[in-house]
Amino acid sequence: MIHRPLLLVVTAALAAAAGCTDPVPPRPPGVLVVSQEQQAAWIRNFNPFLAPGLARWPSRGGVYEPLLVWNTLKGEYTPWLATAWTWRDDARTLEVTLRDGVRWSDGTPLTAADVELTFRLLRDHRALDLDGVWSFLSAVEATGPGTVVFRFVRPFAPGLYYVGQTPIVPAHVWAGVADPVAFANPKPVATGPFTEVEVFETQVYQLGRNPHYWQGPPAVRALRFPAFSSNEQANLALIGGEVDWAGNFVPAIDRVFVGADRDHHRYWFPLVDGTIVLYANTTRPPLDDARVRKALSLAIDRDLLVEVAMYGHTRPADPTGLDDGLAAWRDPAIAAAADWVRHDPAAAGRLLDEAGCPRAADGIRRCGGVRLELTLQTVAGWSDWVRAAQVIARDLATVGVAARVRTHDFTAWFDKLQRGDFALSIGWTETGPTPYPFYRGVMATEATRPVGTAAARNWHRHGDPAADAALTAFERALDPGEQRRLATALQERFVAAAPVIPLFPSPSWAEYSTARFTGFPSADDPYARPTPNRQPECLLVLTRLRPR
Amino acid sequence: MRFLLRRLALYLIAAWAALTLDFLIPRLAPGDAAQALIARSQGQLEPEALEALRVTLGESDAPIHSQYLAFLGRTLTGDLGTSAAYYPAPVSTVIATGLVWTLVLAGAAVVISFVVGSLLGALAAWRRGGWLDAVLPPVLALVGAFPYFWLAMLLLYGLGHHLGWFPLRHAYGDAIAPGWSASFLASVVRHAILPATTIVVATLGGWMLTMRNSMIAVLREDHVALALAKGLPPRQVMLRYAARTALLPSLASFGMALGFVLSGALLTEIVFSYPGLGLLLLQAVRNQDFPLMQGLFLTITLAVLAANLLVDLASAWLDPRVRDGARRSR
Repeated sequence: MIHRPLLLVVTAALAAAAGCTDPVPPRPPGVLVVSQEQQAAWIRNFNPFLAPGLARWPSRGGVYEPLLVWNTLKGEYTPWLATAWTWRDDARTLEVTLRDGVRWSDGTPLTAADVELTFRLLRDHRALDLDGVWSFLSAVEATGPGTVVFRFVRPFAPGLYYVGQTPIVPAHVWAGVADPVAFANPKPVATGPFTEVEVFETQVYQLGRNPHYWQGPPAVRALRFPAFSSNEQANLALIGGEVDWAGNFVPAIDRVFVGADRDHHRYWFPLVDGTIVLYANTTRPPLDDARVRKALSLAIDRDLLVEVAMYGHTRPADPTGLDDGLAAWRDPAIAAAADWVRHDPAAAGRLLDEAGCPRAADGIRRCGGVRLELTLQTVAGWSDWVRAAQVIARDLATVGVAARVRTHDFTAWFDKLQRGDFALSIGWTETGPTPYPFYRGVMATEATRPVGTAAARNWHRHGDPAADAALTAFERALDPGEQRRLATALQERFVAAAPVIPLFPSPSWAEYSTARFTGFPSADDPYARPTPNRQPECLLVLTRLRPR
Repeated sequence: MRFLLRRLALYLIAAWAALTLDFLIPRLAPGDAAQALIARSQGQLEPEALEALRVTLGESDAPIHSQYLAFLGRTLTGDLGTSAAYYPAPVSTVIATGLVWTLVLAGAAVVISFVVGSLLGALAAWRRGGWLDAVLPPVLALVGAFPYFWLAMLLLYGLGHHLGWFPLRHAYGDAIAPGWSASFLASVVRHAILPATTIVVATLGGWMLTMRNSMIAVLREDHVALALAKGLPPRQVMLRYAARTALLPSLASFGMALGFVLSGALLTEIVFSYPGLGLLLLQAVRNQDFPLMQGLFLTITLAVLAANLLVDLASAWLDPRVRDGARRSR
């Protein structure tokens, strides 16, 4: 009895020693290995309405599909489950036509009733409404087998983006789900290219092809996801060629990753993930003075900042604050006229003097007799932001502003940010198909909240009545010319008031290996955003890849 | 019997105290699971959804004492709640994914380290001044003093990545379906060798030194001299007369070590992406997943208590004085 386990162990050890020669088993052809989430163990969950991180990738853009896919790089909607959309009643009603011949993975046809039920689920369970579509919707009705009408509470043209990217689920499955919030959806019935759960283990899962996919069988046979608990582990696999597609940060990427296989390892980081800005709390004088905010901006050496904080993978922000995904909206004349998004400590000093903040004998400025001391908060452990904060603090010191960097845990940091309990903070901004989400986030009065109350956006509490008018007009604007005119007006307001201090556009991380698959987006073929991190946009890539 | 009852009562009180701490400590930390989710999605969540999510994830505004009573009641019935980081999976399901692997890896490593270390210690003391005694203790003490993280990374890079002798991660090969097949078991062993080695190497020195020192003291005792004078074989004297007595101090720490096995060899599991409880604990902390943290702490606490109870029983069996002491105090 005692010797049997011993024997087993010895046998196994010998087998292990013998097996040392095949550390990486050959992968079946056509199986794309992806690293997107970092988890200790996979838990089976394909509920597309739960936040990314709870539901396995790509529940929102691969298993399930939306009506429209926004292509950030081309700046256009790709019709997906919907083929056409029409606005009526001054952007108060949206009629959507569904694609013919789409089937769920169990063979049932997609109908307007499915779309109606999807939005009813979001209305009845607010925890599932991640984009807050019911903050502007009033009703969703199937008016025919292939047409759905969305009624809005007010004219809201930007709503198309949020309605369009909502994952659509089958009514014949979800109508019977008692609690859709607690539904792990272990066997998804969906319209996407990869719906069949072929393997689901703690360490790995694999999604196979949808037998009824409306674009025909996907060229990729299956998606496979090994569990990597940390960035280091994921990067090691990426460097070793075990992973075909990833969206991680890789330090010293040219040497470490590309150098490991110069023929196949590629990366491309387009600057389309919004703009990282410095928020200055406008409820705390002298930060309510645009001249002071502009002076802080002039003090920052952004060339050094992007080199130190982002390893040169980005560039100094545009004066309009718009990232490269919104490049077509930028007005070059405004950007050229903006004189405060550059490095000029002397000009910063002049502006501060003008704003009534002269330098005192100790080198620190006094505003109305009070030392100009500012705390700059950032997130502990987000090393790029921490490095950025250190560069900024050093630069501010050169113009006589005593800035102290304080790092907080994410939750504490975010809580302070939302409640307006900060002086300076690094933070992200929103982005979308138009400049509307970005400018609403930094200038809309309706988004401001009193200090102490959590705000969803506009954390620096800067309401601009002139911008409000343009933003409200933007919500009704359906004509591209009119939208452009309003976007220009918003850029003018932004450049005049400096509501936030833009630092750099955020890179969208994407690494891939062309050893086994072709068709990844690249600077030469920029057909879509290359990262797997954005659902549902990753659908554009998933349906384009071809095995070699 | 009385000895056993007294011990059991003591352990019950300890279990209650641990449960209470288990309830309180996560509540002292700032933030909540819903916010941790936004961190992961970088603010792509609307505040209404966040508020609804907070309610769903069980963030309760009920007074703390009623939360405490509810927690005790649920725990006693074996309901550990729903994990927030892995919502809507129950905590017990999440813990189950890691339990076996932690037992396999850390359990085997601790037992191997204890047995081998104690044997080496006994031998070193028996042949005091010999080459074993001269070389091994300083070398092992040196290796044990290395930062563990560094040691593990070094072995992973050298033996795993550079030479390719061992797999870089996971508890078994991804291409193999788990089951009682020979190829699966071989894969499990091959994946465990490197991480287990790092634990053994890092902890061996401690066991060896403890054993060696207590063995040296025991060897001076009269009963050992008597056994030798009676002409018993030296091997029998070493193992049955000296080592058995000398093992007692080590045994108590072995109990602790065995109990802490379930906390997962945290660093080992992080470095080797080994899907055990330590990695889950890290995820739970990162995501402010209080139910999962509580479930894990509870598992660890119970394991430590159970291991200690076993050690108490074992030392009562090994050492008559423990039993006699209990009897005399009556």
